[in-house]
Amino acid sequence: MWNRFTAQSRQVVVGAQAERRRLRHDFVGTEHLLLGLLDDNNGPVAALLRDAGVDPERVRAEVAGMQRRELGESDAEALRSIGIDLDAVRASVEGSFGEGALEAPLPPGRRRLFGGRRTPTRLSPRAAKVLELALRESLRLRHDTIGPEHILLGLLREGEGLAAMILVQAGLDLDELRRRVVHSLGAAA
Amino acid sequence: MSQATDLAAAAGSTDPRVGLRAVLALRRLLERLEIVQVDNARRQGWSWQEIADALEVSRQGVHKKHAGRSPAPTRGES
Repeated sequence: MWNRFTAQSRQVVVGAQAERRRLRHDFVGTEHLLLGLLDDNNGPVAALLRDAGVDPERVRAEVAGMQRRELGESDAEALRSIGIDLDAVRASVEGSFGEGALEAPLPPGRRRLFGGRRTPTRLSPRAAKVLELALRESLRLRHDTIGPEHILLGLLREGEGLAAMILVQAGLDLDELRRRVVHSLGAAA
Repeated sequence: MSQATDLAAAAGSTDPRVGLRAVLALRRLLERLEIVQVDNARRQGWSWQEIADALEVSRQGVHKKHAGRSPAPTRGES
C-alpha cells in the first residue's frame, strides 16, 4: 500500500506526525492528517480547502485546543501549580530511556508506518482507516497512486473523526466538498 | 504579585477545580512513570514479585496491570 503513496501524500503523513509531536498529542488522529493537508500551502488540496472556506489558522487553533491528549499543556500547568516541572521530569526520563519514553505506550499490534523504531508514526485507528480509505478511493477512481486528494477523500468518506467534525463545524457540506475533490482530480487527469 | 507568589497561592488553592486538576495531572504522570519503570525492571530480568515488592503492591495486581503489554524494547536502540 505504501509504495502507492506519492511524495506529496507521504509528506502529508510526515507533516501530520510533526503536528502530533509539536502538540504533544499521543496519536496521529484524523485532525492531524487535516493539518498535514493544510500544511502544503501551495498544494491543490490546501487551495481547495481554502476555497471551500476552511481557515487553516482556525483549524490549527481548534486542534491545539483539543483535550484528547494526556499529559499535555494543561497537565503541565496543573503540575506547575503544585511545584512539579513536567518538562524537567520528561527530560530526566528521556535522558535515561530515550526520546518519547514518557508518551503513552503503543498498544500491541499498533501500526507503524514508514519504518523507523525511533519515531514510529502512531496512527489512531480512525486515522489508519482514513489512509485505507484513501487507497480504496484511488483504486475506485482507477488511479495508480495515492495523492493528498485521496487522503482528503478518505477523511470525508470516514466522516466521523475530529477532522470531519471540524469541517462540518466550519460550515462545510462534506458531500459537496467530496464532489469538488473528485472534480479536481478529473480535471487534472 | 511575583510569579513565585502566584504559584504558592495556586499550590495552596482552596478552589477544588485547581486542586483536583493537579491530582488528575499527577495521576497521569504517575501512570506513565510506572509503565516506564516496570518495563525497565522487566527488561533487566526482575520478577513480578520483585517489582510488586518494590511498589508495595500485590504481585497479582502488578501482573494484571502490566503483563498484557509486550516488554517494549529499549527506545533509542535498534
